[in-house]
Amino acid sequence: MTSILMTAGTVGGIGLVCGVALALAARFLAVKEDPRIAAVTELLPGANCGGCGYAGCADYARAIVVDGAAINLCAPGGQETLDRLAAYLGQEAEAGEKKVALVLCGGDAGKAPRRYAYNGVADCAAAHAVAGGDKICAYGCLGYGSCARVCPTGAIAIRDGLAVVDPALCISCGACVKACPRNLIQLVPVSQDVHVLCSSNDKGPVVKKACSVGCIGCRLCVKLGGDAFEMDGFLAHRRYHESLDEETGDKAVDKCPGHCIVRRSLRS
Amino acid sequence: MREYLLIVIGAVLVNNFVLTRFLGICPFLGVSRKLGTALGMCGAVIFVMTSASAVTWVVQHKVLIPLGLGYLQTIAFILVIASFVQLVDIAMKKSAPKLHGSLGIFLPLITTNCAVLGVSVLNIQLQYSFGKALLFGFSASLGFALALIIFTGLRERIDRAHPPRAFQGVAIALITAGLLSLAFMGFAGLVQP
Amino acid sequence: MKTIRAPYRVRGGVHPVYRKDRTREKTIVDLPPPALLRVSMAQHLGAPARPVVKKGDAVARGQVIGEPSGFISAAVHAPASGAVKAVDNERTPAGGAAPAVQIEPDGEDRWIEGLEGLSDWARADAKTIVGKVAAAGIAGMGGAGFPTHVKLSPPPDKPIDTLILNGAECEPYLTADHRLMIEHASGIVQGLEIVRHVLGAGAVRVAIEDNKPEAIAAMEQALAGVAGDVALVILETGYPQGAEKQQIYAITGREVPSAGLPMDVGCLVENVGTALSVRDAVLAGRPLTERVTTVTGTPVRAPGNVRARLGTPYADLLAACGGGEAFAKIVAGGPMMGLAQPGLDATTTKTASGLLFLAPGEIATYSSMPCIGCGRCIVACPMLLMPAELSQFLEAEDYEGAEGLNVMDCIECGCCSFSCPAHRPLVQHMKQGKAHVMLKRRAAKK
Repeated sequence: MTSILMTAGTVGGIGLVCGVALALAARFLAVKEDPRIAAVTELLPGANCGGCGYAGCADYARAIVVDGAAINLCAPGGQETLDRLAAYLGQEAEAGEKKVALVLCGGDAGKAPRRYAYNGVADCAAAHAVAGGDKICAYGCLGYGSCARVCPTGAIAIRDGLAVVDPALCISCGACVKACPRNLIQLVPVSQDVHVLCSSNDKGPVVKKACSVGCIGCRLCVKLGGDAFEMDGFLAHRRYHESLDEETGDKAVDKCPGHCIVRRSLRS
Repeated sequence: MREYLLIVIGAVLVNNFVLTRFLGICPFLGVSRKLGTALGMCGAVIFVMTSASAVTWVVQHKVLIPLGLGYLQTIAFILVIASFVQLVDIAMKKSAPKLHGSLGIFLPLITTNCAVLGVSVLNIQLQYSFGKALLFGFSASLGFALALIIFTGLRERIDRAHPPRAFQGVAIALITAGLLSLAFMGFAGLVQP
Repeated sequence: MKTIRAPYRVRGGVHPVYRKDRTREKTIVDLPPPALLRVSMAQHLGAPARPVVKKGDAVARGQVIGEPSGFISAAVHAPASGAVKAVDNERTPAGGAAPAVQIEPDGEDRWIEGLEGLSDWARADAKTIVGKVAAAGIAGMGGAGFPTHVKLSPPPDKPIDTLILNGAECEPYLTADHRLMIEHASGIVQGLEIVRHVLGAGAVRVAIEDNKPEAIAAMEQALAGVAGDVALVILETGYPQGAEKQQIYAITGREVPSAGLPMDVGCLVENVGTALSVRDAVLAGRPLTERVTTVTGTPVRAPGNVRARLGTPYADLLAACGGGEAFAKIVAGGPMMGLAQPGLDATTTKTASGLLFLAPGEIATYSSMPCIGCGRCIVACPMLLMPAELSQFLEAEDYEGAEGLNVMDCIECGCCSFSCPAHRPLVQHMKQGKAHVMLKRRAAKK
């Protein structure tokens, strides 16, 4: 009996001493941290993709609680996360639509030929720096995969020298947008399916020599589609926040002389 | 004097805790990717191993043995070591929050780390005096630090290289650790009995 | 005036096969202006000039068609008299885009009125002379294209005691400077004396590689009457003897500090072509409108050294040398540091020292392998860097680590790529690394 008491007493005694020491340490060396940071971290998806612009979900949570950062910066979290954050923090949840990345270029090997044989580092920024890139088109996708390499979900594939995003895998973190040295990738609302797949601001005759699906700057889409399209120099842009009905969209796709306006669904 | 020198050389080179005794492999593999983090871990381990050696020696010789409770060694030692690591965790969070962030999960891993318990138990097994126990604990942690720093340097280079697909990641790291261990075998026989 | 051998050896470097025999004996041929000149506004380091003419304007040779647009910028002048056909963006030899003034020469080749020289330059002050150099739009003709008037105005706390004239021309195939020294030695020396007067430099050193004995003889003769501490230094032939930091070391033993400039060690290096242009600008008031380019390579039928107007299309240069066919690669410049061209559309600029054509059997395409750690690049690097380490950091996109290993000191000479048995694209890595570091520094400044 005594031995059991001795044992229990000794171990308990050591435990007590350690416990007191730790309690004191926790008291005097405590770091004040807002408990809300941990709670908000829990509400975020935990992908740590950096799409919000902060170094991971915990960092974004800290920014939200301490710096008052906007709560709608988490693209992978989408509307669900936004609603939960708004509910927890007592803020308004703005409606936002899911977006996916789209490469605004249609010039694969068959459509946009190369002008020299590039023998160097297989990286788009590197290729762009050598005599302005190995495509005749000075604006188009070089297809060396810099975007595909940074995509955290492997959503980008290089087909025939052209980068293509799979909308089903895209979490719209925006890493590819930053990686492309020619700024070809845009985050597009998922409900839109008429797109201008060209980023060349060259004049029509120059584009015709460079690519068979390039925008020649004829402005026909603006005439047909009104506010849904706009011209920037010699390049047409789709204004995604303006609506485009099915009929007009079909007309634009059919009539575009450059064959650069396409109907492609971004839904998964 | 000679005895103390032998303890140091023995713990650091001949019977290196990581590379010869294979204790403390967890933080060795986990924290060896960046030199800054590795150095932080070295500091933490040196502090924990040295102080744990001292306190566990005192607990063994002044509490357990006089009370005839030698069989409580393991549990008592774990209690002490766990508390020490928790103390380091709290102190580091206050004084060096960035390091605390980058060490992350690996700091409490020193608790379940066999190296710390190993050195405490070895002190008793080798029947060291308090002074020698303290020195042994300190030298063992220096040996850990040496191995960790060398390995981090290697690992930083490996991370920039292109091993074949099957070897990438932990695989090549473990092979390298094995080769490093093989290299340290060269110290065997350095300390003549 | 004395002739000495370089007292110090350049560290690192390589010894490529020079192949200068095809053009070293060819006298410089003056080319008349082509059917259409396309004069780029980006002919120098720094901000491109701003065009000040428009379509339809009539211009005379030497008329200003582009004004400097910043502190480091230079003026551009019409290389021939004629009519401006267009002012449009064009691709530069480096691949970027810059405005270019298209001029259709009228055949008269009339110089603009009122060009005045400064015959009494020895009594003029430095500012006046530098003003004339600036008005002439002179930029470093050795290849860097740094605006000369800026180079000749070092800050007062960086006095220049040694002026070095660079006649090394270390790039294989190129012989333009070599011919300039043989045919215009006295003009070059006049330019040298003017520059010495502007800088107030005590010592003058003319550097020529020992593979150019005729040039050495010609310059020795021209320098004979020059007063002061003047010496002709014969450099051991090697690449990159013509790189200014290496040349300063070989002649003076002084090392330009990391991230520093030659003026930090009291030196200034000018190319022989630039010196000649300075003389034309100061003595005759004539702006820079033409330069000598070596057109060479086995596919070229009649290789030679041609003096063409700035803005001459490369196609015209080739045609003037008998044309050529079946070339696999076109290089603007020399084979070590030149820029590969996708076609013959680009035009000559102030820095167009050579146009090299390589036959299919003379080039090779490689797929690069991982670094084998042989260290040949480390031995070859003239800036004492570690290209092997650097390229590993840059492949892993660790630009901070690369900055720590002094990637910004890389002069992109190509000695490392030249030596690499694994055929790694080392210079391309360095260029990418430097671009990233520059971007980061610029972003940090904001």
